[in-house]
Amino acid sequence: MEDKNTTDGNKSAYVSMKKVGHKFDPRPDAPMVVQDIDLDIHRHEFVAVVGPSGCGKSTLLRMVAGLLIPSHGEVSVFNRPVTEPRDDVGIVFQKANLLPWLTVRKNVLFPLKHKYGRYSPSDEKRANELLEMAGLTQFADKMPDELSGGMQQRVGIVRALLLNPDILLMDEPFSALDALTREQIGFDLLDIWKKNPKTVLFITHSISEAVLLSDRILVMSKRPGSVLDLIEVDLPRPRSSQTINSPRFAELTDIIRGYIYEPNVPA
Amino acid sequence: MNQTYQPKTWLGQQANRFAPGLFFIGLVLLWELICRFGNVPNYILPSPAAIFMAFFDVEFSRWLTHLWATLRVALMGFGLSILIAIPLSIGMMRSELMNRVLYPALIVIQSTPVVAVAPLIIVLLGTDDPSRVLITCLITFFPLVVSTTTGMLETPPEMIELSQSLRAPRYRETWQIRIPYAIPHIFSGLRVSITLAIIGAVVAEFVAAEEGLGYFIQFSTSFFKIPQAFAGLIFLSVISLLLFKSIQWIQAWFFPWSLPKKK
Repeated sequence: MEDKNTTDGNKSAYVSMKKVGHKFDPRPDAPMVVQDIDLDIHRHEFVAVVGPSGCGKSTLLRMVAGLLIPSHGEVSVFNRPVTEPRDDVGIVFQKANLLPWLTVRKNVLFPLKHKYGRYSPSDEKRANELLEMAGLTQFADKMPDELSGGMQQRVGIVRALLLNPDILLMDEPFSALDALTREQIGFDLLDIWKKNPKTVLFITHSISEAVLLSDRILVMSKRPGSVLDLIEVDLPRPRSSQTINSPRFAELTDIIRGYIYEPNVPA
Repeated sequence: MNQTYQPKTWLGQQANRFAPGLFFIGLVLLWELICRFGNVPNYILPSPAAIFMAFFDVEFSRWLTHLWATLRVALMGFGLSILIAIPLSIGMMRSELMNRVLYPALIVIQSTPVVAVAPLIIVLLGTDDPSRVLITCLITFFPLVVSTTTGMLETPPEMIELSQSLRAPRYRETWQIRIPYAIPHIFSGLRVSITLAIIGAVVAEFVAAEEGLGYFIQFSTSFFKIPQAFAGLIFLSVISLLLFKSIQWIQAWFFPWSLPKKK
């Protein structure tokens, strides 16, 4: 690969994608799902990926997670090619993905129970602390279906934080929530992120969500998904409902909207 | 339009509330009337009153012996069926080869009428409990295999990805994700199987037995003691219902999360 072409110093990149492409069907004439993705994500950076549905956003996330090995190019985490899932990468799934037979606390502890077969009292203490940070203490012994959708997804985030990953991958985590809950949980996420700084890759199809949350936004084209633009979000932090009203917020969302609705614009 | 009927008077409301019970009582009364005024002899169709009296023609301890014999065979067959079906389903889910080899065999076993095989099993294993338990097991285990396998295979891919992202050993994926996910499916299989277990036990008793409700019904019929045969039948229905209910109770007690949400 053309290593010298990467402009960012590789050292500082936590996640690095070089000419990444993928097709599920190995035949030569089979269509690509994503192609030519170049992206470096730095320490404690919040990068969102937006694009029309079916553009391969989730495929991209699965490749960083090590759940899928790209057929073209290379994904590396901490300068190591990703060949399998790593302990320092946490995933927040779409629709919370909680186990309905476990209480909230046990769901949060599940990664340890599942990976090692047990957890210690200090792990339990950590789970309780995380639950408290997310304002879920009083729901710790409830079953997931007793919680609202927004609370369930907060549990999903807390679970991903249990193993204290350096990198957090979020796959359209709020897409199953209604608009009001969605905005609120966005602020909750920023709050959690501030308390536990992580390098975040956030997949979404909501333009305003991407602008509100992230430092940079990768805009993807229709399938086969490729990079249309990489936009710097220069809105000041901490962000709040004020941010949404600022003219710059509107400008940025307009720019992205332009890409999404005119998909033939060259990158 | 399927509008719920709302009676206005108190009496009407009570009648509406107990409608299923009243229907049943009505049916029994009608049966009694037909037998009494139609001069139907007891050895053709006994009246409900005659059936009721027949309960006392047989000693209580005899009833218990028959009841216990049938229940024992049904529960042993059902238990054996669980012990075979669940590991088998796990094996078939985990190994494609095992699935390919065993599935056709299971279909063959399931499509062979157990009633027809029962005499052959008696020849093979003798006239004691083992053959009766095997007959019961054969009739009960297929729904269990199907429901368990379906449940485990229907586990959402995201839950499996959660397991993969943790690089957990596969047996924990099975024990901590797939099997719990399959619990509601397993219980619907258990509910079907438990009623089949009674059928299995009765079929086995028809072929060869010296006790049990199936044997009792056959024996009574051959001596034209039809009211007694009906009394035995009622016992059979009652245990069948109780077993079915106890599966529901077990599910509600141990796995309350697996019940459909009432909303």
